[in-house]
Amino acid sequence: MLEKNYLWRVYWRLAGVIMVSVVIALAVVSYFSHRVFDRELVPETEQKAATVGASVRALVLKATSWGVPFTQLYGADQTFGDVFEENPEFTYAAITDSDGTLLFSRGREPDGAREYFHAPSILAVGLDPTATWKATKVGNLYFIAMPIASDKPLGILHIGIDGKFVDNVLLEVLLDVVVVLVVSLFFTLELLNFMAGARLASGLGEFGQQVERMRSGDFTATARVRANDEIGRLLRRIDAAIDHLNVRYEFLVGELEDKLRSATGTRRDALKPAMTALESIRSRFRFGSAPASAEGDEMNLNRIRAPLFAFILAEEMTRSYLPSYVNQLLVAIPGVSPQVVIGLPIMIFMLIVALGQPYLGSWSERVGRRRAMLIGASIATVGFAATSLAFNLYDLLLWRSLGGLGYAMVFVAAQGYVLDRTGHTNRAQGFALFIGAIMVATVCGPSIGGILADNIGFRASFAVSAVMAMLSILAIARLPATEPRSPAARPSRAPRMREVMALLFNKRFMTLTGLAAMPAKVILTGVCFYLVPLYIVSIGNTSAMAGRMLMVYAVMMVMIVPLSATLSDNSMRRDRYVSIGLIISGLSGMLLLVSDSFLVLFGVVFLLGLGQALSIAAQSALVSEHCHEEIRIYGHDAVYGVYRLLERLGNAMGPLIASLLVIFWGYQGAFVAISAMVLVCGIAFTIATRGYEFEPVTATAP
Amino acid sequence: MGTIRFRFIMVALVVSFFAVGMAAFLNYFKYKSTINNIVKSRVLVVGRGIENTVQASLQLGMQFAELQQLPQMMAREKSADRLVRAIDVFDTSGQILYSTDSGRVGQKVPTVWTSAAQRSKSTEWSTDETDDLVAGISIKNAFDLTVGYLALRYSREEVERAATTAGREIMLAALASFVALAIVAPLALIVVIRRFERDLRTLEAAASHLEDRNQPPPAAGSAFDGAINHLRASLREANKALDDLRAKLDAAG
Repeated sequence: MLEKNYLWRVYWRLAGVIMVSVVIALAVVSYFSHRVFDRELVPETEQKAATVGASVRALVLKATSWGVPFTQLYGADQTFGDVFEENPEFTYAAITDSDGTLLFSRGREPDGAREYFHAPSILAVGLDPTATWKATKVGNLYFIAMPIASDKPLGILHIGIDGKFVDNVLLEVLLDVVVVLVVSLFFTLELLNFMAGARLASGLGEFGQQVERMRSGDFTATARVRANDEIGRLLRRIDAAIDHLNVRYEFLVGELEDKLRSATGTRRDALKPAMTALESIRSRFRFGSAPASAEGDEMNLNRIRAPLFAFILAEEMTRSYLPSYVNQLLVAIPGVSPQVVIGLPIMIFMLIVALGQPYLGSWSERVGRRRAMLIGASIATVGFAATSLAFNLYDLLLWRSLGGLGYAMVFVAAQGYVLDRTGHTNRAQGFALFIGAIMVATVCGPSIGGILADNIGFRASFAVSAVMAMLSILAIARLPATEPRSPAARPSRAPRMREVMALLFNKRFMTLTGLAAMPAKVILTGVCFYLVPLYIVSIGNTSAMAGRMLMVYAVMMVMIVPLSATLSDNSMRRDRYVSIGLIISGLSGMLLLVSDSFLVLFGVVFLLGLGQALSIAAQSALVSEHCHEEIRIYGHDAVYGVYRLLERLGNAMGPLIASLLVIFWGYQGAFVAISAMVLVCGIAFTIATRGYEFEPVTATAP
Repeated sequence: MGTIRFRFIMVALVVSFFAVGMAAFLNYFKYKSTINNIVKSRVLVVGRGIENTVQASLQLGMQFAELQQLPQMMAREKSADRLVRAIDVFDTSGQILYSTDSGRVGQKVPTVWTSAAQRSKSTEWSTDETDDLVAGISIKNAFDLTVGYLALRYSREEVERAATTAGREIMLAALASFVALAIVAPLALIVVIRRFERDLRTLEAAASHLEDRNQPPPAAGSAFDGAINHLRASLREANKALDDLRAKLDAAG
């Protein structure tokens, strides 16, 4: 049979070729850009050096006008130092007399400088008081020389520009280009899946199922419309072979029945072997029409991936710069600290998502998943567009609330879409696809959003998110309009208040939710969505850097979650993975006690990603293990509903807690304090679950 | 060209367009911000000279509104760099006290100037929301209190002309890279997916002979060999059972 990873091997090979081609193309673009930068920036920098030189020269002339001998100027070295500090691209400065003898200098003297000082063309500059300045390349430096003259020529001022400054400028772009490469790789895999893979996988899957059906003797004919591609043609041929068999079978059965109707006595006995043969055929094979199967195109789960990816990407793109944007639109709210105000839009967004989800589930069932997604994505698009035009914080809060509502609608409806189209056998696969789309968007979104915000501004970046959300509407519109859910199916419901209260006071449930799930979300939104973007900008970095940091977190999740999920499932000690994950997350912020360097911040995000990745998969599975008694009493929906509600309230609390901590202890203190809180929760969870005998339940948490 | 191959090529083109487009976008904006910064810092060098003079006067006890030598100095500094169009010195309320454009004295500066100056975390500030680009310095007295601001207006066209020239060249390079990529990547893809296409062709060929009763073609070493054999075996078995029924019906007469 077809090997399971056959298609993925093909995808990776294709992605490899595309990536190699893209890298070569990017190298070509970078090479030509370097040439343009060199040609255009060097003269501009020389011009700037001349302006700076004129300022230094004015100082020198002021000193000599007060009677200080030109050869005994005091503080020239310090003046050069100040110039270097303000203009890092200048690495050497010198003053020579009219004969080219070096009087004062600062910086590493390049090879050939002495010859250059004595060159007749340069000495001519010094002897001509009307000369402006002259540019020459010496070694690795671009030199400008300008005369210093009062009533007579005194000497020459030289300023050296580092020849590598253009390389340094391009090196800064290089980091963003690497981000573009990583994002391109993920885009490639998503697009392969969207434009070719979904149909290919579905076609090959159908082919595999057809082979299995025929092996089991099922030759019933399906009346499907096949795509006009290689796989479609192949399936049509198989359909034709089955049709021929069915026609032959029907003909033989008809002939036998005709003969049986007219046969009597010995003639009837003569037909007995044929009748036995037909019985044998009927017991071994099935012919006729296949029942109308739900496994049609509507069931193609892959189709949800592209719209979900595009929609989540629109939201994720705002993560790295939203707090900075809010900071820009800040309006003083009496009695509320600006730090809290900056966190408000994230908090309200998360709160709407948390509170809306239990009710939106049943709503999307009633109106239909596709329609609910269309409505949600439309609302979010309006929210993004309006946010890009926000006047101040007040209307921004309204637009972000719309965004939150739209996000919750799309998220819940997409989740329902997967639930409706999966059974016990393929639910995990369905959710892997759902989470996969979200994770890829999480990797690509913040980094690209940060780059956009740095270059085209916050407002235009929000407009790009609006366009992306609009594109998701187009993809959602292509989803099947028919709902596979039977009208008789039991509708899902939001947890009732008495269930919420009962679970809130349930020790087992709250050990898991209060000590693990909520703290994990608090540190996620508090650190990743609030502290990291603001702290990075506060230490003089850009939103693009914040995006790269968040990308580190997402890449850790993408890489570690599948591994930790498998390991925790195999070991059946999910509590240990949750404990270790929480403790690692809790230790992450502690690194800032050692140093506040940028590398340490990278370590914080790396450890946080690792910790969260270790615990996240095991956490929801633990609900089934830890709370089987509660599930028996209140039902699976209610327990998971309350669990998700509290977990998402943790999301909403994260920015609030982080902002309050910033007020008291500043950014570094907030990182440390929020991590310490999670560390304490992790230790408490470890102690609370020590010696607890878990029932081995294979959980498939929604 | 097969449909699947076409789709794979489309993926390559879309990704290439995104990557090359983003790289060109990044390079262009980096160039623009770098040239902006270079020009701005060059203009601010001129401003620093004026600021130092104002500071020195203030430290001698002179009033900010009574610096009589300042306009001449500002005019001299303005003429030192052709890029600078005008220099204004205004107080904290935004009223211009000194200007190289004497007609502006007494007028109010645009509010974006004062808000940009007040928002800035350092003494330097800038804004690009007016026709000219503006770079400025906050002027502080000996007690570190801001008494006014210095604003240097400089030509937007000069900066944008440089950015447009560079942008055009970067775009051309990106376009050329994309075209080359659009030619090379599909060829490379065709090489890579040859085996996959061969597997599909084998499968299609085998499927077209599914109902042949003669010997099956030898295994092609494709990933689908097993599936094809199963298909043929299933059909053969079903046909054999139907043949048997046919024979028995014929035998019954």
